[in-house]
Amino acid sequence: MKIRLFLTGLISIFCLSVVYAAEPANPRSMTFPTLQFSIPKSERVLLKNGTPVYLLQDRELPMVTVSALIRTGSVYDQIGKSGLAALTGSQLRGGGTRNLVPADLDRELEFMASSVESSFGADLGSISLTSLTKNLDRTLQIFSDVLFRPRFDEKRLEVAKRQALEMIRRQNDDPKEVGDRELQKALYAGHPLGSMPTAATISAIKQGDLQSFHQRFVRPDNMILTVAGDFDRTNILAALNRLIGEVKPEGRLQLPEVSQVKLQFAPAVLYAPKQVNQTVIRLGHLGITKDDPDLYAIRVLDFILGGSFTSRLMMEIRTNQGLAYNVGSHFDVGRRFIGSFSAETETRAEATAKTIGLMTSIIAGIRKGPVTEQELKLAKDSIINSFLFGFTTPASIVTQQARLEFYGYQPEYLDRYRERIAAVTREDVLRAAQKHLHPDAFKLVVVGDQKAFDKPLATFGTVTTLAIQ
Amino acid sequence: MTRFTRCTVVFLLLFITVLPVGAANLEDKVVEHTFKNGLKLLMVERHSSPTVSAWIRFKVGSVHERSDERGIAHLLEHMLFKGTKTLGTKNYAVEAPLLEKIEQTAQQMLAEEAKGSGADKAKRAALQAELAKLEKQAEQYVIKDEFFDLYARNGGSGYNAFTSRDGTTYLISLPANKLELWAAIESDRMKNPVLREFYTERSVVMEERRRSYDAEPSAKLWETFIAAAYQTHPYGQPTIGWTSDIRQLSRTKAESFLKRYYAPNNAIIAVVGDIKPAETIALVERYFGDIKPGTPVPQVAAQEEPQQGERRVELLGDAEPELVIGFHKTAIGSPDDEVFDLISSILGQGRTSRLYRTLVLEKQLATQVSTFDAPGNRYPNLFVLYASPRAPHTAAEVEQALLAELERLKNEPVSQRELQQILNQLEFEEARRMGTNGGLARNLTEYEAIAGSWRYLTSYRAKVAKITPADIQRVAQQYFTRENRIVGTLVTKKSGGAKK
Repeated sequence: MKIRLFLTGLISIFCLSVVYAAEPANPRSMTFPTLQFSIPKSERVLLKNGTPVYLLQDRELPMVTVSALIRTGSVYDQIGKSGLAALTGSQLRGGGTRNLVPADLDRELEFMASSVESSFGADLGSISLTSLTKNLDRTLQIFSDVLFRPRFDEKRLEVAKRQALEMIRRQNDDPKEVGDRELQKALYAGHPLGSMPTAATISAIKQGDLQSFHQRFVRPDNMILTVAGDFDRTNILAALNRLIGEVKPEGRLQLPEVSQVKLQFAPAVLYAPKQVNQTVIRLGHLGITKDDPDLYAIRVLDFILGGSFTSRLMMEIRTNQGLAYNVGSHFDVGRRFIGSFSAETETRAEATAKTIGLMTSIIAGIRKGPVTEQELKLAKDSIINSFLFGFTTPASIVTQQARLEFYGYQPEYLDRYRERIAAVTREDVLRAAQKHLHPDAFKLVVVGDQKAFDKPLATFGTVTTLAIQ
Repeated sequence: MTRFTRCTVVFLLLFITVLPVGAANLEDKVVEHTFKNGLKLLMVERHSSPTVSAWIRFKVGSVHERSDERGIAHLLEHMLFKGTKTLGTKNYAVEAPLLEKIEQTAQQMLAEEAKGSGADKAKRAALQAELAKLEKQAEQYVIKDEFFDLYARNGGSGYNAFTSRDGTTYLISLPANKLELWAAIESDRMKNPVLREFYTERSVVMEERRRSYDAEPSAKLWETFIAAAYQTHPYGQPTIGWTSDIRQLSRTKAESFLKRYYAPNNAIIAVVGDIKPAETIALVERYFGDIKPGTPVPQVAAQEEPQQGERRVELLGDAEPELVIGFHKTAIGSPDDEVFDLISSILGQGRTSRLYRTLVLEKQLATQVSTFDAPGNRYPNLFVLYASPRAPHTAAEVEQALLAELERLKNEPVSQRELQQILNQLEFEEARRMGTNGGLARNLTEYEAIAGSWRYLTSYRAKVAKITPADIQRVAQQYFTRENRIVGTLVTKKSGGAKK
């Protein structure tokens, strides 16, 4: 095949009609030349103060990306100040630096077409830089000022807080957003992962809270750096050592303890009334962490049950019955904290109970017997053969490798990923399904207009009505 | 997580300004080839990973539908995932007569439904039951979503399609050694499509409509606003179709639309990644070369009458207020269009943009403001300003502040620094957009289709550089007038009634 392609390639330049005669192949039985692929590796270097940096040079385009991954996030929000991490994350960049008031910072970066952005999620904070190579020196200086010398401008903080309050006012506008949020709250009730900002917690946050949150977490011994693109190795390491490697953290790093999520399973039916002609359905329960030995079986299970276009949920609910446009399920594998299993769809109000019943029985069904050989093979082939798409840009390669260190993955995780997927058997999938799926313990969230449902929600258990208005 | 919900109707709200890919760089890298049947192939060789992205763009979208076909371009996009005479079926010869019977029954049902209140309910129900029975029967011959399975097992990524006013695009990324699989499947899809499982898929589209518009007040406002802006031109109709439109669509209509337009002379292919262009040309010739050309997609003849007075629409919804303001303007490729791109950047791009500084930071009337073109590009469209008011400020206050900024554009020349910043950002974008196979393939197919040539991208920055502050003032004065304006507001309607 490879040879034929090569020859036809040569011939085509001179005489296309010769090629025309070649026989098109059947997609079901086609064979392909082998592909050379090895996982691209970045270089890991320590700065003078020990901060790790992942480097991957690529000179295709005259630009560079840099990022800092920081161990912080909303799981560290103080009680009564939910939203503090998110505000600190946005205001790190948004609130200016000691040298530049916010407006000047905005002006200088945007004029260079450089960007420095910061945001803090649940358990990871990130600050990223993108710049044309010619503006790298100056942008990197600003990046380090944002990291270590933020201003947290009072006025910008006030704007950000008022915006956060407005977002809370708007949080029930889209029924899908209501469903997603209420499921998350139900799954993680009592844990920081389940707590959401309210008007009261946002209002309680002051400039000093941001400053001390920043001081506590944003320090060179609590971050991993990445650099990708068109840089000179000697110069960038010198610059990073000067800007970040010489920063001495104050005292010993002390991250507050955050308790692990308590693994428990109890069903609930939560109803959020909304006058719409389509019902949002979300259901799920707690799941696994990345260290679970069933991880690879779960990846395969995910594909078969609800993670692909020919998954069981998609096939029955969308393709066969036309009940939904979007339907699927997913194990969100926890990295630090126990993750979740969740399924979602939206269907016309009159088909609500029918669709909930179908989802539940399809999920329960995969615990009753092994998946078919064809299902298993398709899932494994797809995961293994598409693996290389995780490595298509230098920025995604370095960030991925830094994240593996950040979350403490085994060093051989990537290298052995495909062989571990390949080793998964039908029995493994069944065992994982029986162990990690609990259809009798779903938190079921339904957003819609109960009057129009085909059956009352009470069919599925005791209904708690949520006040979302 | 990448959630697979293929077949999106492109919602251009977040589709920001037209920004080009590497100018000089791109000019050297694109290899162009036109086949005898009119098929256009654009290629860029990039060896940064052993992968390839292939996009096929048909220059036909919802703007080309007749009034009784509204929604068909998008539904057809879904249907073209259903297989061919050899793929997606166990035995087409026995399946085909059954598909005919299904369509005959559906036609009878549609005829009955068309009688409206005079329809015979019992007859309709019987036909509906018969249709469901026949579709169930046909199912035994179907291999469900075989295209997807073939791509998936071979490592395909991002298999999808989307429909807009102007066009329809099918896309996939594959490991580079699998490009022939793409050629085999896609050429078969162009030659021998079979629109099986039609009426079930129509229900899926109905759910897509409920999900994307009916149950989302801000999207419903958008649909209402666009419809109010056009009285003559089909840009006003939603790509997905109105509810009653979708109910009237049939396989017969879809096939007629398909046969008219889905031909190589109306298609543009971009293949970007780890390829050798000469080999790719040969491959495409081998698989697509024998497909006969079809009817060239005609120009839309309808022209919007000049608007002669402000239009205002409001939508009551269970959501917080939104404001959208539009002004009619010229299409892509006209000199004024590029001036609008500049205006859009000055007003709405980034933290230093005028609207962000004034409305979001200083007056704090809104939480976000954006500016963009919609609903298509090929024909005269709208310049749109979109804002979410921040309570207790009202949509009316935000509207006044937005209009004041437009007045400022008419009265004061913009600064050289503002213009230079945009040129700097274009330079950056030219580099950035070269960085992914999919992004490049998107740009090449999109601009070849809507601007007539992908070279639009490479000549863009030089054209923009010639625009003067006086041009901006002239355009602002000419277009930002009361009679050329459409204003839409989402007004909160909680169970207690409407409040402004």
